[in-house]
Amino acid sequence: MNNKVRELRGEHGWSQGDLAEKLDVSRQTVNAIETGKYDPSLPLAFRIAKLFRLSIESIFQPGKD
Amino acid sequence: MSRNANKTYHRRMMITMTIYVMTVMLALPAARSAVDWPVKALLALAPVLPLIYVVWLMAQRVLHSDELEQRMHLIALGVAAAIVSVFSLVGGFLAAAKALPPETATILLVWVSPALMICYSAAQWWIGRRYGVQAFCEDDEAFPLYLRLLVAAALMACVGIWIYFKSADEFGVGLICGMAAGLAVGGGIAGIRRWRQSKRADR
Repeated sequence: MNNKVRELRGEHGWSQGDLAEKLDVSRQTVNAIETGKYDPSLPLAFRIAKLFRLSIESIFQPGKD
Repeated sequence: MSRNANKTYHRRMMITMTIYVMTVMLALPAARSAVDWPVKALLALAPVLPLIYVVWLMAQRVLHSDELEQRMHLIALGVAAAIVSVFSLVGGFLAAAKALPPETATILLVWVSPALMICYSAAQWWIGRRYGVQAFCEDDEAFPLYLRLLVAAALMACVGIWIYFKSADEFGVGLICGMAAGLAVGGGIAGIRRWRQSKRADR
């Protein structure tokens, strides 16, 4: 799955630690999501979308099969 | 899990495991020589207390972790349980066939839980690589991992020397000294890794 989390975080001027704190997850989890090594659960994806005031599908897109 | 909570967990785990190993080494020989059954049973079961605390610490850690950390903990626990159960089965079959001395079989049984902890840590590090997470990267600057391992090695060596002069139990001394050497090697590797990381960061 591809995502725009790193891009959106950069636009808001937040560090990975800042975003982690806002989402109540570890900094390493934010890093794993940004690098595409981990796909977040639906509740976490909703929290990310709500934080950036966007829809889930505008942040996360399915990757190539 | 927050950085501070992680540090506290590692510190508590290290202290408790040290207490556990020392209790095993000190209480078990005393239990063997005790005459009264209640005293014998109490001394023999003394190492269970620190291990119950370890299980509670691990449960708290998993409960306070986020979803990726929980996934990593559960996979690591599954891998560790699979590895240790295979080895304990091998030991069990060898003991049932009387291919092992009864004393060795009993000692193998005692080391199942510590082996589970060691395999769990190793599996967590291995799984962390898959997610680009370094299990031991959040090192405590005041008391780094390499120093913790070296202090534990020194403590083990002291216990080994004490057992040597107190009871001359060759097996116990060999076991403790082997563990001290293992911890010292681990401390050395962690120290070299830390030194290389700091060199890389300076560039």
